[in-house]
Amino acid sequence: MTAADLQALLPLLILAATSLFILLGAAFLPGHRTAYLITIVGMLVALASIRAAVAQAPHLVGEMLVIDAFALFYIGLLLLAASVVTTFAYDYLKKIHLKAEEFYALLTLATLGGCVLAASNHFATMFLGIELLSVPLYVLIAYVFRKNDSLEAALKYLILAATASAFLLFGMALIYAELGTMHFDGLRDNLQAGIGERRGLLLAGIALMITGFGFKLAVAPFHMWTPDIYQGAPAPVTAFIATISKGAMVALLLRFFGAIPSDQSGAVFTAISCIAVASMTIGNLLALRQTNVKRIMAYSSIAHLGYVLVAFLSGGPQAIESATFYIVSYSIATLSVFGLLAALSNADGEPETLAPFKGLFWRNRSAAVFLSLAIFSLIGIPLTSGFWAKLFIFIAGIQSGLWVLVILLALNSAIGLYYYLRILFVLYSPTDELSELSSTTSPLNRSSFVILAALTLLSLTIGIHPAPLLELVKMLVTTL
Amino acid sequence: MINLFYIAALVAIIATVLAITRHHAVHALLYLIVSLLAVALVFFTLGAPFVAALEVIIYAGAILVLFLFVMMMLNLGQDAKEQEREWQPLRIWIGPALLSCILLALIIHAIMGEGSASVVTEEVGPKAVGSLLFGPYMIAAELGAFLLMAGVVGASHLRRREFQSEITGKEES
Repeated sequence: MTAADLQALLPLLILAATSLFILLGAAFLPGHRTAYLITIVGMLVALASIRAAVAQAPHLVGEMLVIDAFALFYIGLLLLAASVVTTFAYDYLKKIHLKAEEFYALLTLATLGGCVLAASNHFATMFLGIELLSVPLYVLIAYVFRKNDSLEAALKYLILAATASAFLLFGMALIYAELGTMHFDGLRDNLQAGIGERRGLLLAGIALMITGFGFKLAVAPFHMWTPDIYQGAPAPVTAFIATISKGAMVALLLRFFGAIPSDQSGAVFTAISCIAVASMTIGNLLALRQTNVKRIMAYSSIAHLGYVLVAFLSGGPQAIESATFYIVSYSIATLSVFGLLAALSNADGEPETLAPFKGLFWRNRSAAVFLSLAIFSLIGIPLTSGFWAKLFIFIAGIQSGLWVLVILLALNSAIGLYYYLRILFVLYSPTDELSELSSTTSPLNRSSFVILAALTLLSLTIGIHPAPLLELVKMLVTTL
Repeated sequence: MINLFYIAALVAIIATVLAITRHHAVHALLYLIVSLLAVALVFFTLGAPFVAALEVIIYAGAILVLFLFVMMMLNLGQDAKEQEREWQPLRIWIGPALLSCILLALIIHAIMGEGSASVVTEEVGPKAVGSLLFGPYMIAAELGAFLLMAGVVGASHLRRREFQSEITGKEES
């Protein structure tokens, strides 16, 4: 490894070192607060070190990882989201008096896996990144063991994630058997000759890999695990799964399928558009009948990933721009919702059903406002970032002539209004039993309040003035 | 020597199918061992004797010893012996033994036979594997280390006493 390699890898190295420091801290300076401080400082230093890594970009590290502007943008996004999740987790775990050093170590390792995925350029690093993202999650989902739900969720995730990994490995083996390369650039060079002449094995391999990716992204028909795991996992972990795990997979998908030239008549295109349509429709329709906020968010996340796939299918630079913009906006809103659930929870549990939210506005103004604005962003109401995110997907889809997908996206957004508005309606409905209900949710404490306010402000800032983020996202395309 | 490969691959497939379809864990385990040995032979015929050895040592050896420990811990009952006898009648050994005999015949044939046993001309020895692992694949090896660390940290959390009392419903003492 040269000095340039090390400089380019600095964010990943710092993150990896942070996980070791947390464990050392757990041995010599045990304490929840110490572990939290090491984690948050490590993540912020890693975030700052992206500046140093930019000087080297684009840089190939031994063919396995590529550190370019695209990778660094996603690493930055994941690190920011991870530090937000860490802060929510600190408040959440403080309430339940549980030994928490391992939580931060596992959270850091899972974030490292996500960052590796964003930078991976080879089947080996891709697979290791996915595993490094999944293995800590098995434990994190079951970390707070006050209910059997979480154990069930962890077991489901373990079995299904292992199955998805098997699909991925088999797909990788078939593609390697056909093309003789595991390098993404090698794939591109080999496929330039034409995908048509070597169908068989190659298509089977890509189909198996799409299955594996589909599981991780929780898009229909690979979405069955989502509601149970969202419900069973502690709220900060759910936030992690919904944003970091999915954001890293979208980054990988953009890079991987960027390496596969596809036209609109191809089998890969057809398969992914079927998945996009199924996700949008199934996600929104199943969310209609739910009464649990976490399950509503789970089904709506299936639909949102369907929207991202529409952006992805539009192809060319606008696919990367609109998908990345959407992921940023979706992450901000999702982090707010789950962060709020974590902040409102108390030692007995989280407010999951709609009942504790009844008349929240009259008891806890700021919490209700944060939740409302996050939901506005998820719906795509103007002045929030969600509006621009959805608009860019529409524009990208129309420019590529994906009329069917764009019309379905519009119809599905309309269906989505129903369940989002139902949450909002509950928030503002008048309530008489103030004294009885106020005990079911705990008030926001300071750090959660600051983070939630910052997320909401960020969403509004992007909503009012999207140009800086758009410029940044446009810049990434040139490097990919 | 391509026939060696096909026979070993066939044995691997048969053993794996049988491992999946058995009702008892112990029976499935027996077929799993045969399947792993057959895969090792497949690696051997493909010119990777080092990987074949690793397959036998790590999978057929270490991981199945782990299985054995679990079985031992689960069987610590009064009627464990009774259960054992019920689970493993003599005829259950016939299938795995037969498949193993085929593998044994293959490996004897490969060793005694003339020329190279592999279908490829170039064999990948330990040195080549090592220089790849610490050359271009070094980052992958390091990531593997962190993956193992995640597993160890996770396991140490899940074996906590509070966790176990929560599962079994007993009060923490």
